[in-house]
Amino acid sequence: MRLWLAPAAWIALLCALAALLPVMTPLFSWVEPGTDNLIYTRDSFYFLLQSHIWLVAVSATIGTLVAVSAGIFVTRPAGSDFLPLVSQIASIGQTVPPVAVLALAVPAMGFGEKPTLFALVLYGLLPILRNTLAGLGGINPAVLEAAKGMGMSSAHVLFKVELPLAGRVILAGIRTSVTINIATAAIGSTIGARTLGDPVIAGLVNGNTAYVLQGAILIGLLALATDSLFEATERAWARAFSI
Amino acid sequence: MWLLDLGVVQPNRIVSGTGYGLYAATGWLGAGVVSSLLVAAVVLATKPIHNRFWMLALLLTTALMAQPLLLEVFALRKLPEDSEYARIGIGAGFWCLAFFLALMLLETLGQLKASRRLQLSAVLLIVAGWWFCATREGLSSLSLIREYANRADQFTQALAIHLSLSLGAVAISLVLAFGLALAMVRRERLRRPLLGLVSFMQTIPSLALFGLLIAPLGALSAAFPFLQTLGIRGIGWAPAMLALIAYSLLPIMRNTYVALMEVPEPVVDAGRGMGMSERQIFVQVKLPLALPVIIEGVRITTIQAIGLTAVAALIGAGGFGTFIFQGLGQAAMDLVLLGALPTVFLALAADAILSALKFQGASR
Repeated sequence: MRLWLAPAAWIALLCALAALLPVMTPLFSWVEPGTDNLIYTRDSFYFLLQSHIWLVAVSATIGTLVAVSAGIFVTRPAGSDFLPLVSQIASIGQTVPPVAVLALAVPAMGFGEKPTLFALVLYGLLPILRNTLAGLGGINPAVLEAAKGMGMSSAHVLFKVELPLAGRVILAGIRTSVTINIATAAIGSTIGARTLGDPVIAGLVNGNTAYVLQGAILIGLLALATDSLFEATERAWARAFSI
Repeated sequence: MWLLDLGVVQPNRIVSGTGYGLYAATGWLGAGVVSSLLVAAVVLATKPIHNRFWMLALLLTTALMAQPLLLEVFALRKLPEDSEYARIGIGAGFWCLAFFLALMLLETLGQLKASRRLQLSAVLLIVAGWWFCATREGLSSLSLIREYANRADQFTQALAIHLSLSLGAVAISLVLAFGLALAMVRRERLRRPLLGLVSFMQTIPSLALFGLLIAPLGALSAAFPFLQTLGIRGIGWAPAMLALIAYSLLPIMRNTYVALMEVPEPVVDAGRGMGMSERQIFVQVKLPLALPVIIEGVRITTIQAIGLTAVAALIGAGGFGTFIFQGLGQAAMDLVLLGALPTVFLALAADAILSALKFQGASR
């Protein structure tokens, strides 16, 4: 139970600030004196937070499903021909900066949520894929032999031995992917997605530091809350399978 | 690939033009050459012919080198001659073809177990081919090249700013991270708080960190006017540099620490037995053994910094990100490409150079 205390605290802080920022005008008038527009009002912070989380969650779900199944496929005998190519794509792809992926999605798909989601899925895939390959490849062959020797079918070995053992590494990959995607989704504001990046971009364009601060604080808190949630999940996973 | 647009004819830089498929764009000759080339590649890849992978590698490299010629043929055939602002854009089909050919080349080089030098020469040949095509008269109507021609000075400036910001940040944080890693090696109890702090900073999204630095730096520069003369303000290079350094610390620091801790004890003992001083052991034994892992940290950091510098254009730091976000603002897609493609290229080049260095460090 104590495991989940830290993420719960971060999430509570995030929700509280999303609700309370609009009434903290005195603080922001100190930051940005001489203007009446102290609080970003085009959308509510809750709406932006929800839309931001939605984008990241959808891309993480699709990315995890695709990357883990691809990783499983190329580590089976049937798909082993593709293993070198897939692992090379995963490592070269990660060299391309996420902003560039985001920017290049626009000529292909136009502005809005769609290109953002596309870029998030595409880029988010790679760390998960790499970690799936590392996790499945890092299992001691003797363990697999022992499992086979016990008469387990290959599906049994996959679900009862390989995935639980590789799970922590795969989870770490998902964590990296989500951390990157929270940051990339924020930049997605520049191509028309509605996320917590909106106040920051609007503030930068209009020279209003108060807007920038409001967006930045919420984005930062979202990232920290998500990260501590993953931290707790990783520990719980390790405890459940006593690794 | 035959159905997607190879190229687009645009009446000016903003209006999206009409697309042409491979056949419509380059006629039966161009379409025939591309199709037979792809068929030949597939035949070579599947039939057991002697030396087929060498032939395939040669074929694919040549094809990639000459690929921009397709656009030249397209411009020659379809560009209206009387219109001053008309230009041709690159279509999805062109990129798909390039991607497909590159993927096949990658796989072929892997099958050949090609040496690093061979891989590098293939890449250099292709880059040279594209460079040659880009500087020819025939492609001067390509919108990407027009955007460049309008901004040649700004482009050079953006390159200089991008490189100095990202490489400067990596250099500074290399010094800092090395010192911090040494401190962690000496004092074990520093490890948790230092690594915790640095990975905490890595978790904060770039846009948020840039945004959070604006207010304090702005206040500082307002309070101390001499900082303004140095160019330190809430926006511009100062917050960008600070954030880049903060992001660069973790990979180098973690890798240096791990590498120094993992030098095998017997090796160090052997050094002591030979009468080396602690300093000699560090410089002549530990550091060379740790070097490849440290360079790997620098590689990760440099790639990351090149990408983040593009984001820093949002807070007015300059660099290729300026073109990206200007282009997005004006819906001028080729301006976006003019910013995004060099950023990708810089990251890939940094990756290649530092991987080669790491490889050399490891083989010594």
